[in-house]
Amino acid sequence: MAIIDKPLALPAGEPRRAARPLGVFTRPKEQSGISAWLTTVDHKKIGIMYGSAALFFLLIGGVAALAIRVQLATPNNTFLSGDAYNRMYTMHGTVMVFLVVMPIGAAFANFLMPLQVGARDVAFPRINAFSFWVFFFGGLMLNTSWFLGGGADGGWFNYAPNNGVAFSPSHGIDFWNAGLLIAGIGSLTGSINLITTVLNMRAPGMTLMKMPVFTWMTLVTQFLLLFAIPVITVAQLLLTFDRRFGANFFNVQQGADPLLWQHLFWVFGHPEVYLMILPAFGIVSEIIPTFARKPIFGYPFMVFSGIAIGFMGWGVWAHHMFVSGLGPLSVTAFSVATMFIAVPTGVKILNWMATLWGGKLILNTPMLFSIGLITQFTVGGLSGVSHAIAPSDTQQTDTYYIVAHFHYVLFGGAFFGFVGGVYHWFPKAFGYKLNDTFGKVQFWMMVVGFNLTFGPMHILGLQGMPRRMQTYDDAMGFNFWNLVATIGAFILGVGVMLLLANVAYSYSKWKSAGRPNPGPDPWDARTIEWSIPSPAPSHNFDTDPVVTSLDDFWHRKYQEDENGVVRRVHTGEEIAQPGNGEGVHLPAPSYWPIVLAFGIPIIGYGIIFNLWLCIPGALVVIGALFGWALEPADDLDAPGHDHGHDGPGHDGSGDHAEPELETV
Amino acid sequence: MGIDPYEKNWMRVSILLLAVFFVIVTIGGFAMGFQVSGVSDEVDPRTLAQTEPWANPGLREVAPGEYEAYVVAQAWTFNPRVLEVPVGSKVTIYVTSSDLQHGFKVTDTNINMQIVPGQVSKLVYTFDTVGEFPYLCTEYCGTGHATMYGTVKVVAGSGTSGSDANASTSTIASSSGGATTEVTR
Repeated sequence: MAIIDKPLALPAGEPRRAARPLGVFTRPKEQSGISAWLTTVDHKKIGIMYGSAALFFLLIGGVAALAIRVQLATPNNTFLSGDAYNRMYTMHGTVMVFLVVMPIGAAFANFLMPLQVGARDVAFPRINAFSFWVFFFGGLMLNTSWFLGGGADGGWFNYAPNNGVAFSPSHGIDFWNAGLLIAGIGSLTGSINLITTVLNMRAPGMTLMKMPVFTWMTLVTQFLLLFAIPVITVAQLLLTFDRRFGANFFNVQQGADPLLWQHLFWVFGHPEVYLMILPAFGIVSEIIPTFARKPIFGYPFMVFSGIAIGFMGWGVWAHHMFVSGLGPLSVTAFSVATMFIAVPTGVKILNWMATLWGGKLILNTPMLFSIGLITQFTVGGLSGVSHAIAPSDTQQTDTYYIVAHFHYVLFGGAFFGFVGGVYHWFPKAFGYKLNDTFGKVQFWMMVVGFNLTFGPMHILGLQGMPRRMQTYDDAMGFNFWNLVATIGAFILGVGVMLLLANVAYSYSKWKSAGRPNPGPDPWDARTIEWSIPSPAPSHNFDTDPVVTSLDDFWHRKYQEDENGVVRRVHTGEEIAQPGNGEGVHLPAPSYWPIVLAFGIPIIGYGIIFNLWLCIPGALVVIGALFGWALEPADDLDAPGHDHGHDGPGHDGSGDHAEPELETV
Repeated sequence: MGIDPYEKNWMRVSILLLAVFFVIVTIGGFAMGFQVSGVSDEVDPRTLAQTEPWANPGLREVAPGEYEAYVVAQAWTFNPRVLEVPVGSKVTIYVTSSDLQHGFKVTDTNINMQIVPGQVSKLVYTFDTVGEFPYLCTEYCGTGHATMYGTVKVVAGSGTSGSDANASTSTIASSSGGATTEVTR
């Protein structure tokens, strides 16, 4: 059972514990407008902000991607200089991995997971806001490097010794270190927060094996983050010391072994790819049963394969390094491990197909994107298994075959799943559906563009085209497929942008139709986030949902009659909560998460440019920590909050023995 | 919780798959003798220019039809940039780097090694086909990465594996930036 499983209320009649706090330590009161967003601790708003920030960074990463493809469209092209090309592809990879795919996963985890477990918010709402802001400011700081001497130029993997000052004298890699270290703080605090939420704040009756698959995948993802981020943090700190303070951890000229960096990077880097794909796996595991109108095939197997991926992801990193001279024994061991991790992944693919099998498929946009994930991820998965065969892997290492492989899993897999998820949960977040026809056009455009872009890269890789080449010679035979890939990239770019166009189009349609409400359950869905109104009210659930089974909402709508035939006994509207909760005590907004997060990049700039700058940064951080600590647990006079007895339907039985818990 | 029979069977299949994969990869790794690039030696990249054989990289003939090739990868060239060997030669390739990490991939062959400064990567390959095989740097090494390549020229006419008596008159040129050192049998 949860530690905090119901809204907290002050006992009636009891005197307030603290005297009225002084000016700056009161809680902000804004309910709407920009300042409400800046100070919010609502997990739904934070999830939406994660998603919006990721879309913003997606524009930057996407422009870099198109610049790369323009440069490679024709042989001996001079659109980008070698230096500019290196910065483009480095920043493309870094931004897409750390500032797009990971935050979109965080967006879904933040928005959806508390709704799926029946909680009012995450365990530590202020830390949740801090996680977002520190990620956002870290990402912004990384991108200011474009204007302060150029982006990083060592590749997203930044292999030593090329990441040293001797080979990369500009500040790009310093920004790469500082920005990602700062964003990593957000990932760490976020992961602890979400793990606590899943473990402690589930609705009554929701045992671990009754959690939705997405919540399970979120839990596994957050554990991966919790253990992977410290590894890259260590590597980046060592590198920062090398670059800024003359240390020699990776300096070959002083006898360092550059393979240390490779091991550190990939011990982080391989779990990283799983924590990018698992949220998307969770999303399609929710969409497919909904639109196949069948329960998911092999739920326990689905869960345990996710956990297995979470563990085995730590034992396969060296398959990135088969050609670095590990020797046959290590290579064989990591080959076996890589083969093994293909099995739980394959299990998931088959389970989705078995869920589709015999279902009454509704091929709307979320479903199409989910099927797109299954097919394209399978292509990427198969090329991935081929890396488990060392003789084959050594041929493909550092060629475009690898580029094709990971774009099939991360774009064709993860990103397609994310777009499907946006279409699926959009009404729950914003109160209107995205246009389905528009969505289908977008889906097919993305499928065509995606496969035109990355399909030919398999061929280029097998022809021997190395990665990260700024240009290639006419005689090398790479011309045709590179041109095809560039054409595909532009189709794909337009396809991705259609999402924004669809949002604008659907919004104007919805507005001109008089803002009709889609109802709490527009898809006849299975999990309890659909048992509350759309858009989700700020307090989520009027009363704590009591969960008795997996897909609880579905089982309340559909039951077997006496002949064993499953019949609908209720519509979603009938049993959904009305969303009129009264007296629900919510964590109040706070100024301090954004202030604290703002101070940290100042220290980052100080480490890069002038150490004196660290002092104002540290002062901001310390001041914000004091503000955070001295802030009252709640502003008792905030509008809209009733602090008397619990409202109707609550456990207002008078058991007020528990002390008020600080909402951290 | 009750588990559907189909789901149980699928669990059994996937566990069987694990066993099959384990057997296949283990046999492949240990019984079939696959070759991955291994570290054959360690060198100090700071004194590479003074250390034999790296002071004079190129081809050496160690036995009839058998060669050793020493290649230094450095930003952003290979030394030597041309390796010319008779068809059928068995060449042991040693590559090291004097500065950054580089790659050494010979197109249309199964040679692909990562070149780490401080360690010597080694692979054995028999060139059975006449032709030119470019070798490219596959490991990102900075602005000149795309310009870093050389060529293995496999030439006909000197017989296979050195059994032809005429082979003794042929020369194996290994040129390095214009200076050509000739290794005569």
